[in-house]
Amino acid sequence: MQPGHSAAIGVATVVLALALWALFTTAIPWIDTARFPAPADVWAALTQITVQGYADARLWRHVAQSSVLVLTGFATACTVGVALGLAMGWSRRAEALLNPVFLLLRPIPPLAWIPLAIVWLGLGDAAKVLVIFMAAFVPAVINTYTGVRAMEPQIVEASSMLGARGPRFVREVLVPAAAPHIFTGLRLSLQASWTTLVAAELVGALYGLGQVLNNAAQDIYPGMILVGMVFVGLCGGLMTAVLGWVERRAMPWRAA
Amino acid sequence: MSDIRFSGVTRVFQRDGREFPTLAGIDLAVADREFVAIVGPSGCGKTTCLRMAAGLEFPTTGTVAVGGRIVESPGPERAVVFQQFALFPWKSVWDNIDFGLKCKGEPGAGRRARIEQIIGVMGLQGYESAFPHQLSGGMQQRVAIARAYVLEPDVLLMDEPFGALDAQTRTVMQEELVRLARVNPRTVLFITHAVDEAVYLADRVVVMTRRPGAIREIVDVASVRRAERWDRHERIEDVMDQESFVHLRTHIWRLLREQQARNDH
Repeated sequence: MQPGHSAAIGVATVVLALALWALFTTAIPWIDTARFPAPADVWAALTQITVQGYADARLWRHVAQSSVLVLTGFATACTVGVALGLAMGWSRRAEALLNPVFLLLRPIPPLAWIPLAIVWLGLGDAAKVLVIFMAAFVPAVINTYTGVRAMEPQIVEASSMLGARGPRFVREVLVPAAAPHIFTGLRLSLQASWTTLVAAELVGALYGLGQVLNNAAQDIYPGMILVGMVFVGLCGGLMTAVLGWVERRAMPWRAA
Repeated sequence: MSDIRFSGVTRVFQRDGREFPTLAGIDLAVADREFVAIVGPSGCGKTTCLRMAAGLEFPTTGTVAVGGRIVESPGPERAVVFQQFALFPWKSVWDNIDFGLKCKGEPGAGRRARIEQIIGVMGLQGYESAFPHQLSGGMQQRVAIARAYVLEPDVLLMDEPFGALDAQTRTVMQEELVRLARVNPRTVLFITHAVDEAVYLADRVVVMTRRPGAIREIVDVASVRRAERWDRHERIEDVMDQESFVHLRTHIWRLLREQQARNDH
């Protein structure tokens, strides 16, 4: 199938779904709009949150709040996670030292950190960043570690024969060799970050998309719930797309 | 002076608490700027010899010394050309060749001139910015040879470098290696399965026994090459057509067949 065709089919599917949604909520009201909103309700909710605001702030503020939390947690987790993964993958000593701790932490679901995060850091942003960090950290470490371990032994031998050592070896051999796996890890980390953010904000926050969802649930406001969901999806999707662009730019040798 | 000297080298593999001897006492001296090829049955330990000179493996007893110094680790003064090329897939042709010089801390201007020169010699012009996976096997091996040669190493260690290439490319590469060796002679240790290749390229051919490997015979090719003026011929097939060439080749074949026969019993 030509790429143009599959794109056209994709658009057609979305348009059809929207049409059916409008049809069964408005023209033939088989769906109870008190439980699932009609397009007009979602539009009204969107207008309200954009113009007057909802849950103490306008949409852009909620989006900015959530995005900053995700980016902070994600960036910290990636920096620490990739560094640890490289160390554990390369050095048996680092692996012996760090792996037991990591194996102990790994099966704990990220959301189980929420109570401890609140006790340590209160209900503010820091606690949420910590929870996001815990969620995003694990895939970054595991995939980086796998990437280093999957290195061809001959590449390692060639680089030591050529005299590569220290920071140059890490920068020009270890990291690029593990890069495809590292980016897989980062994509999973980013997904985990958004999942965890929404849960962390549901517990309590001043602003944020999770807080919008929380308020809308309490107000039994299906239109606003849908707006919250859609924007979480849009933000996550946008960041994933940016990461994909960075990935292609970072690994030109993988293209074509 | 950059000779290679194997003195009483043995190697024993340990697996499941049992010992497997792979090399049974190798004594071999490769002189400065001499080209020595090692041939032998599969698993006779010829690649192990090369890897010990490279510092990638170590003898169980005995020593391997290059330029009078015992080999303790890999280094750019003992450049290796691997059978599977082992290029960095994320580096362009230019950057692959440049990497060893950069690691040595050579200044940029000098590096540039040397890389340009070796790219010219190896016929890689126009491919400087290509990535390895965009090149054919023959071109990749040219890059690997350029990467080793550009370091101007004391010794060049080539582990079946043309083993992964098709017959035609292989022939071209063999001719180029001879040309390169004339322009810029190095001490070379060359591992191969192909008897033709060994006789065509080497000053001496070391024939090894089957595992545990020992030296069966060292065949002097250089004196025959000089006496019979093989270098009058530009093309490899013309050299291989010489009676003296065929004679040496058959002699080495018989030595190898003898090993094969021992294997079958």
